[in-house]
Amino acid sequence: MRWILLLCLGLSLPALADLDYALKPRLIADDTWLLEGSTDNFAKANGGNIVNTAFIVTEAGVVVIDTGPSRRYGEALRQAIAKVTAKPVVRVLITHHHPDHALGNQAFKDVPIGALADTTQLLHEQGDSMAQNLYRMVGDWMRGTEVVLPTQVLEPGVLSVDGHDLRLLALTGHTGADLAILDQSTGVLFAGDLVFYQRALTTPNSPGLAVWLADLDTLQALPWSLIVPGHGPVASDAQPFAQMRDYLTWLDQLLRDGAAQGSDMAEMIRSPIPERFAAISLGRYELIRSVSHLYPRYERAQMQRVDTRY
Amino acid sequence: MNWRLSCILACWLPLAAHAVEVDPVPSVMWAFYHKQFLADAPFVFDERVKLLAPPFAEDARQVPLEIDARAFNGEVVKILAWAELNPLPKIVEFEPKAGVLPWLAIRIRIEQATPLRAAVLTTDGLWHVGSTLIDAAGGGCTAPSVVRSQPGWEEHIGEVLGGRYPRGEFSRVRVQVAHPMDNGMVSGIPEFFLNHAQLRGRDDQVLAELELFPAVSENPNLAFDIDAPGPTRLVLRDNSGNEFDAAIP
Repeated sequence: MRWILLLCLGLSLPALADLDYALKPRLIADDTWLLEGSTDNFAKANGGNIVNTAFIVTEAGVVVIDTGPSRRYGEALRQAIAKVTAKPVVRVLITHHHPDHALGNQAFKDVPIGALADTTQLLHEQGDSMAQNLYRMVGDWMRGTEVVLPTQVLEPGVLSVDGHDLRLLALTGHTGADLAILDQSTGVLFAGDLVFYQRALTTPNSPGLAVWLADLDTLQALPWSLIVPGHGPVASDAQPFAQMRDYLTWLDQLLRDGAAQGSDMAEMIRSPIPERFAAISLGRYELIRSVSHLYPRYERAQMQRVDTRY
Repeated sequence: MNWRLSCILACWLPLAAHAVEVDPVPSVMWAFYHKQFLADAPFVFDERVKLLAPPFAEDARQVPLEIDARAFNGEVVKILAWAELNPLPKIVEFEPKAGVLPWLAIRIRIEQATPLRAAVLTTDGLWHVGSTLIDAAGGGCTAPSVVRSQPGWEEHIGEVLGGRYPRGEFSRVRVQVAHPMDNGMVSGIPEFFLNHAQLRGRDDQVLAELELFPAVSENPNLAFDIDAPGPTRLVLRDNSGNEFDAAIP
């Protein structure tokens, strides 16, 4: 019996040890730490750590921006914070309702979790099915993960955390409720998923690409010095904005032309992707998804009522 | 080897270049459907029948499917498509006649990851089977109706959006029909779906007949490539006996 136990332990330890996010916070500005995820897709190999989360150490305590894809990630994030500072976590800000940004909330239940009102509503409506899908894609990393809704409603304007001013912007291009945060003391812009960089953008809840393009103008006009995209590397130049605009404009034109020529969805997903986007991760995968999300609107715009009742 | 056997072999040689001996997709259901839908008739797995779908279903309720049997233009009797692991596998039976190409785009529901098939019967009595595989989180067949969640949806049944798109030698005709396509799998809602469509050309000449099954998505989307001169008429019927009529100029 003892041998069997030992054997089981021996077999299970490496498996458990594998499920370690090994989060390493990186200082990107004064008191500002980034946990950079990979630009790959959700997979069992990465546990869904495909997202950028961050935290700011203020006088009053730590402000966390996004909590990651799972309970395990949220807990690892909290431990990583504790290694950097002894100050308590005083606030969590959720940029939008997508699972890779909000499913780590369980680890921050004792802290006020703030989000835009519509973000909380969307998480309430879609959270369980999104979590279910993540269980399917990343497996055991998700164990014990449940949706925890934000507890505070954020309004656009300046949020002062004991004198550390964060400017909150309520935008809509990515999901219909997208929070962007400009730290007014460091100039770091936390763009959430309004900005993807070197990773193809995702569109499941986008109200439309024109809205998204307008949001980029709003963000770029802010007095930022460093941009933290929701996915992909940080940048101190406007390159992420340029890439986003280029990609969104191309995607919009592709869908518009396809609809005007009467192409079907199955044809659209095979469209060539321009060479200049070759370095962007997951281009084909996200094109397939975006065609599913967006193309129906474009094709309806190119059709008329033809029934004889009309 | 006797001469008759040699002759048969010689006839089959050109075919063998495109036919594959083994099933190109992993399937536990092929033998069953071969019997059920094709009555054990002679068949080949044939890569000239292109069945094109995304590798995964982003929305399991609206999966785009393109069936391309243009390699057999002029020889196609009918095309039958199904999703093997669907609770209601049959998708469509399409009989293209003179004036319409053996090509069809349609959107379907899938319940789980499944092999998809398009079997093309040619005039020589052989079924050519095109196959592909699609991954899915699933639930497309049992998800609550999107159409029924919209107030006043009954008023819109049978409305058709459509368009004609010139493509050189032929024209693409696309339609989208407002209909809930209830498949009987959502609690308390009986089957209510479009089950027949007929495409007609000038002087009401029949261009194609379609039997539709409840694996077809809500608000069905159909696209045809037509080389007969326009206008084109589409006559639709559902299993409650409602008839709908559309004219694409």
